[in-house]
Amino acid sequence: MTVSFSVPVIETERLRLRLPEARDFEAYASFRASDRARSVGGPHDRADSFVSLSAIVGQWALRGYGRWLVADRETEAALGVVGLYHPEDWPEAEIGWTVFEHAEGRGIALEAAVAARSYAYDTLNWPRIVSLIDDANTRSVALARRMGAEPEEVFAHPTFGDLRIWRHAKPGGAGTAHPTSGGQI
Amino acid sequence: MTPHLADTPVLKTDRLILRAPRMADYSAFEAFYASDRAQYIGGPGPARDAWRGFAHVTGMWALKGFGTFVFADPATDEAIGMTGPYYPEDWPEPELGWHVWRPEHEGTGLTYEAAKAARAYAYDTLQWTTAVSYIDQGNNRSVRLAKRLGCVLDETATPLDHADPPVLIYRHPAPEALR
Repeated sequence: MTVSFSVPVIETERLRLRLPEARDFEAYASFRASDRARSVGGPHDRADSFVSLSAIVGQWALRGYGRWLVADRETEAALGVVGLYHPEDWPEAEIGWTVFEHAEGRGIALEAAVAARSYAYDTLNWPRIVSLIDDANTRSVALARRMGAEPEEVFAHPTFGDLRIWRHAKPGGAGTAHPTSGGQI
Repeated sequence: MTPHLADTPVLKTDRLILRAPRMADYSAFEAFYASDRAQYIGGPGPARDAWRGFAHVTGMWALKGFGTFVFADPATDEAIGMTGPYYPEDWPEPELGWHVWRPEHEGTGLTYEAAKAARAYAYDTLQWTTAVSYIDQGNNRSVRLAKRLGCVLDETATPLDHADPPVLIYRHPAPEALR
C-alpha cells in the first residue's frame, strides 16, 4: 500500500502550479537560507525549511486547499510558492505569494496569483479571497493593486504586527465594481 | 474533488486505532501544545506554532510516504496522542516519537501500546533496521516508556543537535530481537 496524495494542477501560459514534492526541497531551502528571505522572517536553516515545506503539503491534506509549488512549464524549474495560505492564526484564507530570487522581475507572482484567485472564486466558489500585506512591503502592495485588489482594514497579528487586508477583485472586474464595499463583511 | 491523503495505513491494537492525522484532531493538539505538557516538543506555544507543527507532521505523510500516527479511541475516533516514524531533514537517523495530549491518559499504558504498534510498522512494513527515540533530559516519563519498550541509552549515536544538556538517545531493540 503506497500513500497517495494529489492536488489540482493548474497550468498558465508559462507556469505549472502543482503540489510541492521532496525534489523541490533544495530550491526551497536555498531561497529561505538567503538574505532575500528576510521578507519571510528569514534567513532560515534547512531544518526549518523542511518543516515549512511539509507544512505547505500538510495544509492541503488538512484543509483541502493550499499553496502550490510554481514551476516553469518548460524546464520544471521551481520558481516560487503561491496559493491559498491559511494558518490557524490568520483571520481568513489568503492568496500568498513568494517568488525565488532567480525568478523575480518576470511577472511570475502576478501570473500565479491570478491563477490562485480564479481557483478560489471559480473552482471553490468562495465569496471572497484576500491577501494580508504589510504596508511597508511595497512590492506586494503594488502587485495587489495591479490585480485590482481593494484595501480594507488592518489585521493586528500578535507576532508580525499590522497586516492590511486586501480584498481581491472577482474575475471579470466584479470586485472593482464595488469599490466602496470594503469593510462591510 | 477535495484533496485527501489516501491509502495511509490504519493499525489496530487491543484498545486503540492508529491512523494518519486529520483536521478533526487539530484542536486537541493545539490545546496540548499550549500547555506545559508540551515542553519537551518545543512548546508551550501559540496556535501559529501548533498549526505549523501539526501541518508539518501531516505533510510528511505525503512527502515521505510515511509519518507519525495519531492514536485514537476506536469507538469515538477521538485522538489521544501521536506516535510513530519521524524522520525530518535534519535528523541524524529515523526516530520513533510519542506524545500523549491529555494528562488523564498518562499512566494508562496507551502510549506504550501505540508506540509498540508503530514500531512494529516501522520494522515490518517500512523495513527499518534500527530506530532511536530522542528524549530531553528531565523527561522522566518518556525515559520510563523508552525503557519499557526495551530501549537502551546509546551514548555513541550521532547527537541530535548542539543542545546543552544534550538530548538523550535511546536505541530500540533491533527487529530480530523482537521476533
